[in-house]
Amino acid sequence: MSSTNLDVFMPVIILIALAIIMFVGAIGVVGKLLRPHKPTPLKETPYECGEAPVGSAWSNFNVRFYVVSLIFIIFDVEGALMFPVAAVFKDFVAIGAGGVVLGSLLLFILILASGLVYCWKKGDLDWVKSFQLSEDQLKKLNEVEAR
Amino acid sequence: MNNTIVSYLSQFEGHQKFLAVASEFLGFDVTALVGFVIFFTACFILVNVAAAIGGLGTYAERKISADIQMRQGPNRVGPYGLLQFLADGVKMILKEDVVPAQADKFLFNIAPLLALSGVFATLAVLPLSSGFILTDLNIGIFYLLGVGSVVGVAIFVGGYASNSKWSLLGGMRGASQIISYEVPVTMSIISIVLLSGGMSLVTVTESQGGLPHQWFILHNPFTFIGFFVMFIGTLAEANRAPFDLPEAESELVSGYHTEYTGMKFAFFALAEYAEVFVLCGIVSALYLGGYKVPMDLGNGVFFVENLGLPAVIGKNIGQLLQLGAFFTKTFLLYYVVIWIRWTLPRMRVDDLMTLCWKYLTPISLFNLIGCAIWVYFFENQSMWSVIFKAGAAGAGHH
Amino acid sequence: MFENILFFISSFLVLGGATMVVLSKNLMHACIFLLFTLFGVAGLYLTLGADFLAAAQLVVYAGGVVILMLFGIMLTGGTENKENRFGIEKIPGMGSVKTYIVAGVSILFIATVVLKIIANYMRHYQQTDLPEYMTTVERIGHSLLTDHILAFEISSILLLGALIGAAMIARPRKS
Repeated sequence: MSSTNLDVFMPVIILIALAIIMFVGAIGVVGKLLRPHKPTPLKETPYECGEAPVGSAWSNFNVRFYVVSLIFIIFDVEGALMFPVAAVFKDFVAIGAGGVVLGSLLLFILILASGLVYCWKKGDLDWVKSFQLSEDQLKKLNEVEAR
Repeated sequence: MNNTIVSYLSQFEGHQKFLAVASEFLGFDVTALVGFVIFFTACFILVNVAAAIGGLGTYAERKISADIQMRQGPNRVGPYGLLQFLADGVKMILKEDVVPAQADKFLFNIAPLLALSGVFATLAVLPLSSGFILTDLNIGIFYLLGVGSVVGVAIFVGGYASNSKWSLLGGMRGASQIISYEVPVTMSIISIVLLSGGMSLVTVTESQGGLPHQWFILHNPFTFIGFFVMFIGTLAEANRAPFDLPEAESELVSGYHTEYTGMKFAFFALAEYAEVFVLCGIVSALYLGGYKVPMDLGNGVFFVENLGLPAVIGKNIGQLLQLGAFFTKTFLLYYVVIWIRWTLPRMRVDDLMTLCWKYLTPISLFNLIGCAIWVYFFENQSMWSVIFKAGAAGAGHH
Repeated sequence: MFENILFFISSFLVLGGATMVVLSKNLMHACIFLLFTLFGVAGLYLTLGADFLAAAQLVVYAGGVVILMLFGIMLTGGTENKENRFGIEKIPGMGSVKTYIVAGVSILFIATVVLKIIANYMRHYQQTDLPEYMTTVERIGHSLLTDHILAFEISSILLLGALIGAAMIARPRKS
């Protein structure tokens, strides 16, 4: 006997509810009664190994994190598209239509792999970016240094 | 399809009788109510087990590291120091809750909750045994990827909200590391989905056998490589050494939870250790046969036919054996994870990204193509049966 | 019963999250509320029986796009200043009386048109039981490989274009 309708998703809601109950119960109720609360200005400064912190930590961040997450999203969507296809691949092999499906799957993967190769070649996957100066720029640089 | 613990229990006669009696007594159909109560009880037990495993994980970590470094480790509280984690919990709850004055209070408070609920939600599809699985969703493994990715957001938000330089660096690193390593992990999972023909974790486990040569790790050469890609990926997703850059204590003090004290820190730690357990369980279900017991002892037919036990007891003994097999494999992997932490040095952040994008991602794409071709040409037989058949055919020629 | 509970939780998350996204003065908070909204949308997909779509929503949006947005916000240095560039610390009531009148009229117009169209269906709609819950994964897979195989392949080219475009834009210019 299989469960009907959406009851199969009930544990998900219950588990998240339990997480919230556990969190609020331990921090908001039990912890609040038991723990001391004596804030001092020194206690509330961010820890920087004994130095007084200078300024806020919220500053402009490097663009490479953004690039990584952009590339990740592309592969994420690719994965999301490939999951249902992968799940039915065996059925198609069983009825003898495996060749076509294999071809289309390989085409799909190879097109995206070429994107990865492009990014690799252009140096977008490098964490530490190295800049190759063109000949003109090198010449200019040498002139500036010679002066 | 879509087995749950309720549908497992409802196949026994006692359940039906209880439903009939209770419905008559209360005057309405109690099926839905009983279903909810069973789900709630099972979730409650599982959450507590996961919390205990998380706590014992910290104990195991300290004990194994002590063993590796020839120290004693915790040995005061309880037998062999086993209750150390309870003492830690009591200490944590008594600690003052310090929130930095410049911090973003709302995000600072909500980040541990996000991490905790993300990890707990992944417990729903953990295949403990064929019957004792909370819910066997058809989208099981894909659901797990989606819910698990919330932990990355939680780590980033925790790091950001603290308004401390160390925390922010740790949070940024953590989030970018988690999303990067999700790519090879996803590709490895897709190659397993190709072989098993379904995304539900029970389907994946059932298409393997109980003995090592029937597991997906030894199914073909590509999955053998895929296992290591997946395992490295899960290490990185759970922020474990050698990929524990988000909390690298030698450079970032404590990473994204530098400013967290007391129970909020404890919940971050609990989420991390429980996540390691869940990921080890998933790796064992995908590659190491999960809950499968050798010689089909798991379905309980053996006990009913040969030992003359009643069907109910035989079935449940089988389930317990499956539970044992699952936990054995998972804890072995857990041990390996801890062992790796105390053996390998930490990686540098640029090496980490290079390893992910220039080694693991191309290898996992290659594995995926290889698995697709294998399924097509060898009609999904494992390499042992292919070799055996080739050998038999070769012998036949002579 | 559970469908209703799930629907109420999801719609509460969607509406509450979306409202807070609009009202929140802090970009980071808005992003986290957006995460709740996306979870709610996934829940709504579930109530409609589209389980794969719900999980895809979680994987792509909750896991990917929200982190992308967080990184994007960090590119601008977080949200230290909670005032806009005119130095006003609240949400400014944008536009003049004219724009509000135009907006009100167009809302009325659209609402009338939509209700006129929907009302026809509403009259003939009869409450029936929900169909038996079944998985959509196989159906999506089959249609991706048979009827919509061209769309499947073209989507990979679209993704390739997006990948190259993203890499191009984010690349530091050599000058």
